Amino acid sequence: MSKSLHRRLLDEILSGSGIWPAVPAIVVLIVVAVIPFCILLSLGFSEITVARGVIVSQEFSLRYLLTALADPLYHTTFQRSITLALLTTFVCVLLGFPVAYLFLIGKPWVRRLILVLTIAPILTSGIVRTYAWIVILGGRGVVNSVLIDLGLISAPLRIINTQWAVVIGMVQVHLPIMILPLIAVMSRHDRRLDEASANLGASRLGTLWNVVLPLSIGGVGTGAALVFTLSYTTFVVPQLLGGGNYLNAATMIYEQVVYSLEWSKGAVTALILMSTCLFFLLVFAWLTNLGTRWTRVAQR
Amino acid sequence: MNVASNVLDMTTGAARGAPVVDIRGAVKRFADLTVLDHCSLTAQEGEILTLLGPSGCGKTTLLRCIAGFLTPDAGEILIDGQDTIPIPVNRRSVGVVFQSYALFPHLTVARNVAYGLRMRGMAASEIDKRVATALATVSLTGFEARYPSQLSGGQQQRVAIARVLVLEPRVLLLDEPFNALDAKLRGTMQMELRQLIKRLGITAIFVTHDQEEALTMSDRIAVMRAGKIEQLGTPEEIFDRPRSAYVADFVGASNFWDGFANGGRVVLPDGQTVTTSLSGEVRVMIRPHNLALRPAAGQSSSWTGLIRFRRHVGALMEYEIELDAEHSLRAVALRDGSVSSLASGDTVSLSLRDPAACIVFPRS
Repeated sequence: MSKSLHRRLLDEILSGSGIWPAVPAIVVLIVVAVIPFCILLSLGFSEITVARGVIVSQEFSLRYLLTALADPLYHTTFQRSITLALLTTFVCVLLGFPVAYLFLIGKPWVRRLILVLTIAPILTSGIVRTYAWIVILGGRGVVNSVLIDLGLISAPLRIINTQWAVVIGMVQVHLPIMILPLIAVMSRHDRRLDEASANLGASRLGTLWNVVLPLSIGGVGTGAALVFTLSYTTFVVPQLLGGGNYLNAATMIYEQVVYSLEWSKGAVTALILMSTCLFFLLVFAWLTNLGTRWTRVAQR
Repeated sequence: MNVASNVLDMTTGAARGAPVVDIRGAVKRFADLTVLDHCSLTAQEGEILTLLGPSGCGKTTLLRCIAGFLTPDAGEILIDGQDTIPIPVNRRSVGVVFQSYALFPHLTVARNVAYGLRMRGMAASEIDKRVATALATVSLTGFEARYPSQLSGGQQQRVAIARVLVLEPRVLLLDEPFNALDAKLRGTMQMELRQLIKRLGITAIFVTHDQEEALTMSDRIAVMRAGKIEQLGTPEEIFDRPRSAYVADFVGASNFWDGFANGGRVVLPDGQTVTTSLSGEVRVMIRPHNLALRPAAGQSSSWTGLIRFRRHVGALMEYEIELDAEHSLRAVALRDGSVSSLASGDTVSLSLRDPAACIVFPRS
């Protein structure tokens, strides 16, 4: 006599085979991500007629999408968001890599210090850290006071509420996210390869460029993808440090939904944000794959 | 003995000129641990010199000092008479073959071999030519586009060798290069590598803890103990005339028999005598193949023991012979008829084949 269906199902769940262990997470994702995403889609692609607070009709429509795609405000906002995110990612790689390299070559106490200094900021709220930058970069902030006291400038520099304030804030908030995957790669790095490189005549810089960097591409790719996604979709930092005159796509969605109550418009903007982000992530993945092709060659 | 070593020198081409590598009183300490203790050693032109010793004897530290990965706390390391201490790692004409080869996993075989030439800023066409020659030398033509992970252990080792040979270093340093290979391949690779180094006439310093490997590969062996050179000599000298019980024990299997020297003679239990310049308490080294075994039944013998177990070692038979509760000896014999009839539990009489081959050490 064969086992009943529910009995076999239970066996399979308990044996931990197949996708069953992931089922709780999948259910949560469906409830909090997939269903809201579908609602978002339906909002963005439909014409809703409301009469006396009640929805009377909902028809499929591309009006919001087409309007958005033709709107010059969208063009400049998205262009700005992309530039900002790419710039932040680039600066994070530039600043994060040397820290990770220091982690690689450093003594144990240097390594511990780097880990603590990298993780500590993650434990504090991004909003708090962003407010701190207002204090530092403001007209009467630390930076301007010091520069004036040193006699280097006569009037305070306008840093806050500019693109640069936003970039500085975003880099500071997202740098740890860049450093952590790099450190993960570095801690697996075989230092004998560096010795071999030196023995073959490479300088420290030569070894860094020809051995350490190519072997860390995986970490650079992961870090860059994370930093790009976070800085492309952030709205706290541009909102606070850009002083409202430095809108990016996320702040745009926020305004459309919260202030103008144009949910359909907001939905379309969110969809464009999501798809462009996905596009850039694919580009990152493709570049990372190019750099790590050697890991996928047929083994002997 | 002297005649034999001279002949060896001629056949191996080890000239007695100025040393290529000259280590003078090298000292290296890690915290309060002295790893190299006033170690002095020279390597002659074109010879394969082996640093042999157990782990922790300082052999790898000495190698790393020559390569420049470590700086000695005191002493000098000269290459062709020039002090190397101020020369940075990447400017020394010393090629290292690492224990696990340390091939660059992200570079193909050709680019691994080209690495050092690229670092020297050589023209691409010249690099291609030299890489092709180097790969041909180690019989790896056709493997240019492979990645290290696509090669067998033996092939990886040959890439590691080609990668340093292409730079024509003055000295080749090999750090236990056979460790990562399986036993069967090891023997062939040892012979191949020795022939290759000899053919190129390169001076090589080779580190190992494996005495058989040292005997196979070397022109001369430096047996190391606690950061010092315990004995330096040809494989024959080291094996046949060990200077101390430490060397005798480390190189080749040895039995030690504790006795008493009187009037320049030690009398062994079988009645034979070994001459010595020592007097008082001594320790006599007897190689297992120097012990002859006979069935003891029906004979009166002064030196007898019980075969505790026997073990086949190819064409040889190895016996563990218990003399009394505390002492046992190891004997080896060809598996010919008379001896192979001996079995575990048999009582045997022992005698020396050649008393002159025994070495007498002071007992400390």
